Amino acid sequence: MNLPTPNREGLDPREIPAYDLGRVPYRAALEFQHRAVETRARGESPDVLYFVEHEPVLTVGRGGHDANLLLSAADYARRGIEVVPVERGGDVTYHGPGQIVGYPIVALESLPGGRDLHRYLRDIEEAILRVLGAYGLDASRRPPYTGVWVGDRKVAAIGVAVRRWVAFHGFALNVNPDLRHFDLIHPCGIRGLGVASLASLLGAAPPREEVVARLARAFSEVWERPVRLPREEPAHV
Amino acid sequence: MPVTIIVPQLGESVVEGTIGKWLKKVGDPIAKDEPIVEIITDKINIELPAPSAGTLGEIAVQEGIVAQVGDKLGVILAAGESLPAGGGAPAKAPAAAAHAPAVAAAHAAPGAPTAYATAAAMSAATATSAPPSTDGMRVSPAVRKLMKEHGVDIRQIRGSGMGGRVTREDVLTHIEARSVAASAPGAMPAGAPAFATAGAAGPAPAPAPLKSIPSASFAAAGAREEEVRPLTNVRKMIAANMLKSRHSAAHCAVADEVDMSALVDLRGRLKEKVKRDYGVGLTYMPFITKAVVRALKEYPVLNAVMTDTEIRYRKYYNIGVAVHRDQGLIVPVVKDADRKNLLEIAADIEGLSTRARNDKLTLDDIQGGTFTITNAGMFGATASVPVLNHPEVGILGVHLIEERPVVRDHRVVVRWMMTLVLSFDHRLVDGTPAAMFLHRVKGLLEDPESWLLDSI
Repeated sequence: MNLPTPNREGLDPREIPAYDLGRVPYRAALEFQHRAVETRARGESPDVLYFVEHEPVLTVGRGGHDANLLLSAADYARRGIEVVPVERGGDVTYHGPGQIVGYPIVALESLPGGRDLHRYLRDIEEAILRVLGAYGLDASRRPPYTGVWVGDRKVAAIGVAVRRWVAFHGFALNVNPDLRHFDLIHPCGIRGLGVASLASLLGAAPPREEVVARLARAFSEVWERPVRLPREEPAHV
Repeated sequence: MPVTIIVPQLGESVVEGTIGKWLKKVGDPIAKDEPIVEIITDKINIELPAPSAGTLGEIAVQEGIVAQVGDKLGVILAAGESLPAGGGAPAKAPAAAAHAPAVAAAHAAPGAPTAYATAAAMSAATATSAPPSTDGMRVSPAVRKLMKEHGVDIRQIRGSGMGGRVTREDVLTHIEARSVAASAPGAMPAGAPAFATAGAAGPAPAPAPLKSIPSASFAAAGAREEEVRPLTNVRKMIAANMLKSRHSAAHCAVADEVDMSALVDLRGRLKEKVKRDYGVGLTYMPFITKAVVRALKEYPVLNAVMTDTEIRYRKYYNIGVAVHRDQGLIVPVVKDADRKNLLEIAADIEGLSTRARNDKLTLDDIQGGTFTITNAGMFGATASVPVLNHPEVGILGVHLIEERPVVRDHRVVVRWMMTLVLSFDHRLVDGTPAAMFLHRVKGLLEDPESWLLDSI
């Protein structure tokens, strides 16, 4: 797929362009991330933040355990769920419709925390915490686990990879996904314990565009750099 | 000059990472800044860029091994260079072994750092990285000094530490074995008669020269048996968590004696019925859990957690219940214990314990605890001092309930007694609230009927 590439003419060099690409097949997103990391590492493109949504897919990070997959790949396939091994850290993660998946492709040294991997995770959490706070939710971190939680329930998962000091992969915020799908990876998804979404916590899902805009603003604050969404949708996604 | 690849600074709080995957093999050409090896730390997988161009000359740390920041991972050779003498015969653990699917156990212990090595990868690495190279060996300065003092050649020692690291104990064992081996054959031929005493030989003109004491270990000196097993992920994680707890909290403990007679009687009356009607085994744990939750509400600091700048009082009560398994201790969590009745808690504990023993716990089962109870009494212990389940600030040790003589109204009577030990983090919890909390738990357990009614 072709990516919206920022026109760097007249761009504030500190600005991080952000794009909501909408529904993107997981493998296509993976591939465009790889290309974006390359061009970012070579200094041919600026830091960017992509928001996407995926069809149901289970991604298995480098810390992944097949034991955390309940079914065989064939069984998942029968349910229309693909299983994709990926190079990010972390375990098995579910992505599906109703989630906002964020892929910041950023050179770590261009962020306030520099090349500090933990700081990078904490900053992503911080941005999401601020968005959830804006919706009146009492969200928190749960050290030593990475992610954002409301009570015992995880609302956002984070998994990151770094290549040539450029971060890719990112986070998945549950806005209104089918929470039952999470049962497919944890055997004991009794009463959906362990996962929550903005919809389940607020009673209704806020519009995706609104959450995306708030995320962009929160990242602006946390990273101390303007994160700007285009005024209109990119035409060629 | 060959360039050493080291684990770089990856962040202020990052002290180590697990070697994920070597993206290059020994002998592969490498361009500067090209990703050469993955290091996994928490939820991040970082591909380490090559510090220089050349060929990969040595892999010093195998996949799946945890390396500290600053550790040497390998060596890059420029054109025409070779490894320095004695340095780094490339460790040859087959990469395939390290690719084996990682085990679920990596998530077994709470607060787990990401160590995802498979047992196969561990043993492969241990077996191959121990031999000759002194250069590639990771030896602390103290151990190096010890070896020098005793003229020990590192190549004679098989390292038992992480990644084949030679530890102080390895060196001492080696020195000991060496001295026994050197002195033993001359001192006492094998099969020598045991005790030849002067007395038994009758009056002797001159006292026989003193014989050296035959030692039991002498006979086995050559074959002092050891069984070497790779450290499992579960064990590594338990070790890391225990140490983290010890290093990050000010451990302190307080003990109290509880008269469990009323509870022994109550449980005795209930358990058959509960088993028959609900199919759940009623142990003392649900009662203790309930009492603890009640006391925690009165002494919220014991349900809190602290950071450098804040105290976070948790208004939910997720009680960890330590479960012994052959693979190692694990602490599944009874969630929202304050909102569950006695039977629900009993069913939860039973389910969690069964899943723990069958290795069926999910990440969710072991996350989110706010306070822990550990039962050392199962195997008869009457007292113990538990290690805090980091970052929690309190853990209650419960023990054997046994009949002991106690004094009541100036008479010695026999009562069902149990020792309770509360370990607490003295950074956050003062001694007084700790003792008062424990005393409250004691009071609740001694008079269960006063409060159980409103929780059944």
